[in-house]
Amino acid sequence: MSTETVDGRTDTRNALQRLRASPFLSELLSNRLALIGIAIIATMVAVALYSRVTMDVGAISASQLSNNPADQFLSPRAQYPFGTDIQARGIFDRVLYGAWYAMQFGTVTVGSSTVLGVTLGTIAAYYSELTDNVIMRTMDVLLAFPSLLLALALVAILPEEWGLWRATLALTLVYTPRFARVVRGAALKVLEDEYIEATEALGASDPRVLVRHIMPNTLAPITVQSTLNFGLAIIDLAALSFLGFGAEPGTPTWGIMLSQGVDQGLLSGYWWWSFFPGLFLAVTVLGFNLLGDGMRDALDPRMREAVD
Amino acid sequence: MISRRFLLKRLLLLVPVLFGVATFVFAMLHLAPGDPARLIAGRRAPDAFVQQVRTELGLNRPVYVQYGEFLLDVVRFDFGKSYQIQKGAPVSEILEARFPVTLELAVLGQLTGIALGIPLGVLSAVKQDSLTDHLTRIGALTGISVPIFWSGPILIMVFGVMLGWLPTFGRIATTYTYESVTHMILIDTLLSGNPAAFVSAARHMLLPVLVIGIYSMALISRMMRSSMLEVIRQDYMRTARAKGQGANITVMKHGFQNALIPVITVIGIQFGTLLGGAILTETVFSINGVGTLLVEAINNSDYPVVQGTVLLFALLFTLVNLGVDVTYSYLDPRIEQ
Amino acid sequence: MPRNGNIDRRRFLKAAGGAAVATTVAGCQGAGSNDGGTATETTSGEETSGDTDTESGDEGGSGTLTYARGNDSGTLDPQATSSGEDAKVIQQLYDQVIEFAPGKTTLQAGLAKEFELEGTTATLTLREGATFHNGEEFTSADFEATYRRFLDEEYEYFVGADTRSYYGPYLLSVVKTVNTPDDYTVELELKEKHAPMLRNLAVFAFGMISKSAIESSDPLRKNPVGTGPFQFESWSESDGQIRLSRYADHWGTKAKVSEVVFTEITENSSRAQSLNAGSVDIIDGLDAQTTSTIENSGNAELVTTPGINVGYLAMNMARREEFRSQKVRQAFNYAVDTQALVESIYSGLAVRANQPVPENMTGYNDDLDMYDRDVEKAKSLLQEAGYGDGFEIELATFRNPRTYNPSPSSAAQLVKSNLEEVGITTSIRTMEFNAFIEYTNTGKHDACFLGWMTDNADPDNFFYALLHPGVEEIPGGQDWVSFDAENFNTLNVAAWANPDYKQLVEEAQETYDKGTRAEKYKEAAKIAHDQAPWVFLDHAKELRGVNNRVSGFTIAPISGPYLNRVSVQ
Repeated sequence: MSTETVDGRTDTRNALQRLRASPFLSELLSNRLALIGIAIIATMVAVALYSRVTMDVGAISASQLSNNPADQFLSPRAQYPFGTDIQARGIFDRVLYGAWYAMQFGTVTVGSSTVLGVTLGTIAAYYSELTDNVIMRTMDVLLAFPSLLLALALVAILPEEWGLWRATLALTLVYTPRFARVVRGAALKVLEDEYIEATEALGASDPRVLVRHIMPNTLAPITVQSTLNFGLAIIDLAALSFLGFGAEPGTPTWGIMLSQGVDQGLLSGYWWWSFFPGLFLAVTVLGFNLLGDGMRDALDPRMREAVD
Repeated sequence: MISRRFLLKRLLLLVPVLFGVATFVFAMLHLAPGDPARLIAGRRAPDAFVQQVRTELGLNRPVYVQYGEFLLDVVRFDFGKSYQIQKGAPVSEILEARFPVTLELAVLGQLTGIALGIPLGVLSAVKQDSLTDHLTRIGALTGISVPIFWSGPILIMVFGVMLGWLPTFGRIATTYTYESVTHMILIDTLLSGNPAAFVSAARHMLLPVLVIGIYSMALISRMMRSSMLEVIRQDYMRTARAKGQGANITVMKHGFQNALIPVITVIGIQFGTLLGGAILTETVFSINGVGTLLVEAINNSDYPVVQGTVLLFALLFTLVNLGVDVTYSYLDPRIEQ
Repeated sequence: MPRNGNIDRRRFLKAAGGAAVATTVAGCQGAGSNDGGTATETTSGEETSGDTDTESGDEGGSGTLTYARGNDSGTLDPQATSSGEDAKVIQQLYDQVIEFAPGKTTLQAGLAKEFELEGTTATLTLREGATFHNGEEFTSADFEATYRRFLDEEYEYFVGADTRSYYGPYLLSVVKTVNTPDDYTVELELKEKHAPMLRNLAVFAFGMISKSAIESSDPLRKNPVGTGPFQFESWSESDGQIRLSRYADHWGTKAKVSEVVFTEITENSSRAQSLNAGSVDIIDGLDAQTTSTIENSGNAELVTTPGINVGYLAMNMARREEFRSQKVRQAFNYAVDTQALVESIYSGLAVRANQPVPENMTGYNDDLDMYDRDVEKAKSLLQEAGYGDGFEIELATFRNPRTYNPSPSSAAQLVKSNLEEVGITTSIRTMEFNAFIEYTNTGKHDACFLGWMTDNADPDNFFYALLHPGVEEIPGGQDWVSFDAENFNTLNVAAWANPDYKQLVEEAQETYDKGTRAEKYKEAAKIAHDQAPWVFLDHAKELRGVNNRVSGFTIAPISGPYLNRVSVQ
């Protein structure tokens, strides 16, 4: 028993050491573009937290039209830096608050698909061929649809009162197979290494092997995949809003502001209505893509193949 | 060479996937909100009338019977009749008219992406870490970060409305007539022998193709760059260079071909994504492809059309992926193991 | 020219006048006596015959007219659709036995040169020599085949229960039998007296189809054979374009253009741009932002007419006890800012409402006040009703614009804020229209946005259709019924059941005298206004954008577009 524990620890340490010793972090930090990405993300997180703490979402969602009809469709000015919309609401505050929704729902979507995907992928890699087949063929079915199409199809059958959670759940299911595939690929590579076999021979129980050996070694590719997916999740959530499957109308999400602004404001010359939410959306997504791209380049080439 | 065994295995693997896809789509219809019979009968219809429609549709039968029948129909490419959008028309007929529109758009977008993405990727790799490289990469990443439903309307606004250079919607000016043979407008207008109609169609295509092309370019150039870099790092390249050949010639001669292999995968996988992305592009530019069809069908709860569209997409996507795998293993035989 | 092109003008006038005389003398109902009056009707008859005369010397039309709209057609079969988009093209291809006078709500002769309704019998005398696009003459056998294809499930060529539109059962179920004593006479026996009967025959869905086409194997969806002023040429679904050509042998007003193209341009803004640029001639489906660009363009003008529709917020009394209090319902009417709604959200494309019908309908009551926004009054009414602390509701709405609600999501946001100001916490539920209809038809909503566009321009089509409870007996002392009640009228999404109102609209349905009928509806309008089962929102205007090269276009609040009367330079 004691030998086993020592061995297990050594292996864990080895794995962690390898991660640290790998040029991943240093390479990432020397990548200027990735640093820009980090800066953008940090700013957006700050904006999100600031808005969440200081603003009342009810107040910035409510129509001001009945009490303040003259303020409808004002162009950007000192009082309203991003102008006002059809309901005479200031767009600036709403755009800032949109960062909170983007971060919140992006995190939930990516977080839950990561957890689901990692669990399924690890199980598939580790257990019998039958389990593997059942899980991975199911994933294949989900992967057989272009992502936005599958999301749309799922959204169509979920109850509309779920609002933004409907889109979140649909996208979680859409992204899960990607994580499962990445994790399974990475885990299989780890399993090929003899030390796991050695540990197993010594009688380590299943969960321990999973937690101690496989998880740490698949951490890097999962992080990369999550980062790249975060940007995608924000775009896709907005796209679903654009197509009409987002939150309750009036909610200050970028997707809803964008779609209403394009639909009802662009041609009349109220360009600010859609321009600012779109700009914030694009910059945030760019941030995640810059970071994700840099991370992928810094990744061990052997693992890189697994990430799409 | 590709072994027959590999091909057979891949084809066999398709069966459970496609079966799963069909089952998923069937379940979707039955989980969807709304009573199809009420939908067809309409708002003013009395209940007895709704009941009659339900019987006519066979919705009173047990689910497993309906499921079995559905599978049989799907195998024969029979997706039923539209409930709403083109009430009573066979879905396969609707798809036949709409799909080539999307295909044409996606193919042209993809070609644009390849034509721009590969040279940019090579350039970026050869001049690694130079300003050119950085700008290309930022450009590429921006390309995939900007949502089509934001950039599209802005392009329309600038080029269509403010500058008036390009038409902003649809596929051809209404003044032209042509015969729909392939439903791909560039080909059809060419066949009709009317150069002015062709020019009009091409001008209509420009913005949507560009929007898709930029997105595709971004992914391809990124992949091309990293793939190229990897090849350059490899030993035989160094050897070649040591032998005194100029760097550029070396790159062209040895590197390019090898670097292209993984890029083909990206192009293939991405093509499916492009078909999906057509949903947004078509919506933004008012083009009557399968993308707008799907959105319209969902908005009208026209489930047979939703089913047919989703199945068609899935089938295509799967086949494209298969094609990619086969091509890949042909180019890089190591894959087989 | 075929003989039908040269109808004797005097004979025609006599026919139209004859129907009018029948109205006054025999006390039975003739054309156009529902509203508008006999004078208008004679005028429109004259107009038609005048056009026929002018046309008789004309050899063919010239030019192509392009009509752009938001959606393509789904079918060209009049019996398979209830969609307004489909109707626009079907109107060009098919004629009804009775028609709406262009731009009016009155009736005029169509394929029937005379028509009258007396008691439970409607008699149609058909025009001789009117021909279908396949050259065959229209006779009573075609009428019978058209009728049977729509309503007779035993008929060999029945359209099919899963294809048929509800217009058949909805508008013609009162017909008991159809008799055709000779080639040019049709008699409809009704189950009971039914004032809107003749109007129902003028709905586009009863376009007369050739019997031989009905019996052929070519599906009518894409092979229309009617008698209309235009005949079918081609349909490109991938471009959303339908081409029609002038039918030279049309019996009535012959087309002035040689070709009509219906083209789909989904985006409102794109449609308006094309109009301004002159690449299309007429557009519909305009919204606030597009109207301003048309007004400023100089190349096109905006034509408008009051629409025959109503938009409302229905309060479901069956589901929410709070709504069973008249004070609560009135409080809602005072809380909602309809002024801001029609002016700032609908950008003046609609006028405010205070009763079920718009001003141009029989039975509109001038004496009723608007519910002007009054937050204090709303609050005190809620207080009196015992809901001073407010309550929570869900407001169901639909995603895509409708005529009577051009901006449902913005409207919902405004109403939500208005209601919250008086203490009603509101959540908005947005759905696809079809799912929404099912949701509200089954009474799952607390409150919902809804509206109605007329089928036949008859007040019955508002008063009875939308607010009659459907049930035989209203449970005593109650002014609402359950959605589960037998024969409940599912269109009455407020579940409102007022006995006096019910009585009035039932009587009006069987009243053929115009004046008496109008009085009954006015009284019903007052009850609806005071009892307030709805928050009365708006009546939307009909709007079209017309390029300056087009002349002769009449905007029609019902039926149409009358493209045979239009010419292009």
